Amino acid sequence: MNKPFSVLIIEDDTWFAQQQTRILETAGFIVRHAVDGLAGIEAIDTSTPDAVILDIFLPGPNALVLLHEMQSHADLASIPVVICTNSVAVLPQTSLTAYGVKAVLDKATMRPHDLVAAIKRELI
Amino acid sequence: MKGSSEVRLGSAGEIGSEQPFLVAAAHELKAPLALIRQLSLGLEQGSYSSDERLRMIHQIILTSERGLRLTSDLTRTTRLDDSLFALETINSRQLCEEVAHELTPLYKAQNRELRVEGGRRQILAVGNRDLLRRILTNFSDNALYYAGEASPVVIKASSFAGGERVRVGVRDYGPAVPSDVWHRVKKHLGTAPQALQSRPASSGLGLYLSGQFAGAMQGSIGATRHRDGATFYVDLLASKQLKLL
Repeated sequence: MNKPFSVLIIEDDTWFAQQQTRILETAGFIVRHAVDGLAGIEAIDTSTPDAVILDIFLPGPNALVLLHEMQSHADLASIPVVICTNSVAVLPQTSLTAYGVKAVLDKATMRPHDLVAAIKRELI
Repeated sequence: MKGSSEVRLGSAGEIGSEQPFLVAAAHELKAPLALIRQLSLGLEQGSYSSDERLRMIHQIILTSERGLRLTSDLTRTTRLDDSLFALETINSRQLCEEVAHELTPLYKAQNRELRVEGGRRQILAVGNRDLLRRILTNFSDNALYYAGEASPVVIKASSFAGGERVRVGVRDYGPAVPSDVWHRVKKHLGTAPQALQSRPASSGLGLYLSGQFAGAMQGSIGATRHRDGATFYVDLLASKQLKLL
């Protein structure tokens, strides 16, 4: 049996992260959660997840700082990132692809299977 | 602090440009609505244990209450200029207890603690109960997202300026707020909310509304940065009622 893929959720809304965790765990992923940018960087360093789900506005370093940090390390730059945010309208989506962002999900319109599909598209 | 906290703005409709205010209000409401939708979709489509389903329902209730508090505050702020508010003597410590009691279910559901500190001495302020309650609820709602898991959020009333003024503050113990973020928070404290976050997870709308409510009571709001968190407070005139007895 193949080892399940691991996903790191970096999200300051604990209940939103819990719901994402429920969805991903049901789909067979191993999920970890970091509540802010610093904890996210630490979790990426220590556990090197297969994929990252990232909110944009976070306490501490925001998502762009974190993406920049990931891109500056060769071993982390290839980790696919899915942005999940309430602020899709203000995101410079074209420039995000240069930071390893594979998909942007709008929290207000996404459905549970969108999250799973976005992650599976990159990993399977 | 003084300059920013004493800015007195009119109703929402009088803000130089209504658009940032509307964008900020929409943004702040979007977060709880999006969460409620996700939890509801989860209940509809997922197959979770009955305990998990109850937890999700509880989260929906508490999140909707948070959204409703915001809509109620928004409605209230548009009526600030319509009539004079009845200012009364408020037992600020008792009001702190009431706010803590009201928000305890929300804090408990987030594995956090909200408590009131200070002596038993009555600290009487001149204000409006409803508006002061809204300010403290706002500050406590905000603090919930910045408090560390092991640390409580503390509401405290104290008198200062030789007993002429009363300060009611909400202290969170969390990671230090970076100086650039703090500078933005202070700059926009009580002024028109920003379209994007002044403190993460917040457009500053709650602080703006609190500033409006404080102004309606001839008070002001302010903030203090600590190495391990922040205190947001409201200053009001002290009541002389006890001195007259």
